[in-house]
Amino acid sequence: MIELDGVAKAFAGTTHALQDVSFSVPTGSVCALLGHNGAGKTTTIKILSTLLRPTSGRAIVAGYDVVRDPAQVRASIGSIGQLAALDFELTGRQNLVLFGRLRGMRRKHARLRADALIHQFEMSHAADRPVRTYSGGMRRRIDIAAGLMVPPEVLFLDEPTTGLDPRSRRDVWGLVSSLSAQGVTILLTTQYLEEADVLSDSIVVLNKGRIVADGTAEELKRRVGLGYCTVSPVNPGDLSKIFAVVADLDGAEADYEANTVSVRAPDGVAMLGEVFRRVDRLGVELVDIALRKPSLDEAFLHLTESITT
Amino acid sequence: MTAIAALTERIVIATVRDDLPFAVLAPVANFVFFNLALGKVIDTGGMGYPQYVLPAILIQVIFLGGLTTVDRAARDELSDFADRLRTLPISTIAPVTARMLYCLFRGVLGLLATIAVGYVFGFRMFGGFIYVAAFAVLALMLTLALSLAADTAGVRSAASKRGIRGGLLAHMLLVPQLLLFMLSTGMAPADAFPDWLHPFVLYQPVSQVTETLRGFANGHVAVSNLAASLAWCVGLLVVFGALALRVQRRP
Repeated sequence: MIELDGVAKAFAGTTHALQDVSFSVPTGSVCALLGHNGAGKTTTIKILSTLLRPTSGRAIVAGYDVVRDPAQVRASIGSIGQLAALDFELTGRQNLVLFGRLRGMRRKHARLRADALIHQFEMSHAADRPVRTYSGGMRRRIDIAAGLMVPPEVLFLDEPTTGLDPRSRRDVWGLVSSLSAQGVTILLTTQYLEEADVLSDSIVVLNKGRIVADGTAEELKRRVGLGYCTVSPVNPGDLSKIFAVVADLDGAEADYEANTVSVRAPDGVAMLGEVFRRVDRLGVELVDIALRKPSLDEAFLHLTESITT
Repeated sequence: MTAIAALTERIVIATVRDDLPFAVLAPVANFVFFNLALGKVIDTGGMGYPQYVLPAILIQVIFLGGLTTVDRAARDELSDFADRLRTLPISTIAPVTARMLYCLFRGVLGLLATIAVGYVFGFRMFGGFIYVAAFAVLALMLTLALSLAADTAGVRSAASKRGIRGGLLAHMLLVPQLLLFMLSTGMAPADAFPDWLHPFVLYQPVSQVTETLRGFANGHVAVSNLAASLAWCVGLLVVFGALALRVQRRP
């Protein structure tokens, strides 16, 4: 259980890194903090893992107040930052044993647990090499494993997949799902709408230190529109003909510079089919017809617009 | 306690290939060099030069160790690893305590290496067990005091926004410590220095402590000299101990 109530953070009187941030994450669920660089995601994570004190507001993690009971909070959380926070001179295995012992495990117990995690994370081939020889994906895996030596009640993951290759990214996704299934409450940050969608039960969108939207992935998608169906003819002269046959559809727009007509497609493939049938009857030759998901920028634009208007 | 043990062990594992061998080889190399270069040049009265110079070698090694301590503390403080430590249920001062235990461990190795190479060249401990123990305790007190100072400097340099990095700071600190070492009675008796330098050369801490260590090795120490050395060491320990704990506060 994580609960924030009116949390604000100002740095040295100059910038408001966070303003009036309130949301809660029920026990055992996954929440994604979605936003650009500088939106306040890392600041939020740092406040919740007792690295920063909030300027005002209240934050409760696993039942403890982060300002009044930081020691209890630290005993309940695992916090994994953006960069691998490991000792690069030590081997992966030595790092795991070290973090286990720092959480109070006996050496023998820590070794057994490290063996199990190394096996689970498929790191057996590299476990006894210094971490500085690891690839980014391997570092990330040991980094996360180190946070799991003593399974935490609440786990913070700050951009867990940034800089990873697609395969490592899927590994991390699988891991988050399985931890969540074991009852761990997870708060993660990401810059990718798609990732937030796949991983989380709820999403909080941050922009310039404020929450601009929150809800389940479905709710947010309904608000931003799932995506667009775009059509591009071979001959730019046909663009207006195409626009004419789809003009009655939701959000129809013609972009003459980009040579595309786009239509909002909340139900995805069904709209693609509808547009295709209409355009096909025209007998116009096409370069491309496709479904496009909104980028985070577009989602933000929609969300911030819907706040201000 | 588990946390401090684990963090100390971590430093030992990480330094076993560079800093620790250096801690053993530096006194050996310095001792051999000083004896070959200066052994026949400097008049130390009735005492053999190895017997005279060994405490100075020891102190020089403690100083050199301090430089790597500055650097380690600064790097440690800036690392993401340090940030992560702050999210763990361990004491705020566990990391600095572990670094100090490591410094003492390295100090013991340096002490043993210095005395071992000294014995080869004719250095002898003439006092009994008590004197041997006093020799070790005084050397380790100075080691701890200077390590606390070095650690504080490293942590402060990491925290300052001016960007004097640990490595650079370590190089800058080399100058005052070389001066303290060269202008002391550690390598040569006061007669080797011009008269106007005598007050500084005689009473500065390196001279006082080397004199006391020499006394412990020879089996007799002047009380006034012992008091001066202890005052220096205890004073430095208290001042830098307090500073070292002060800079460890959480943000």
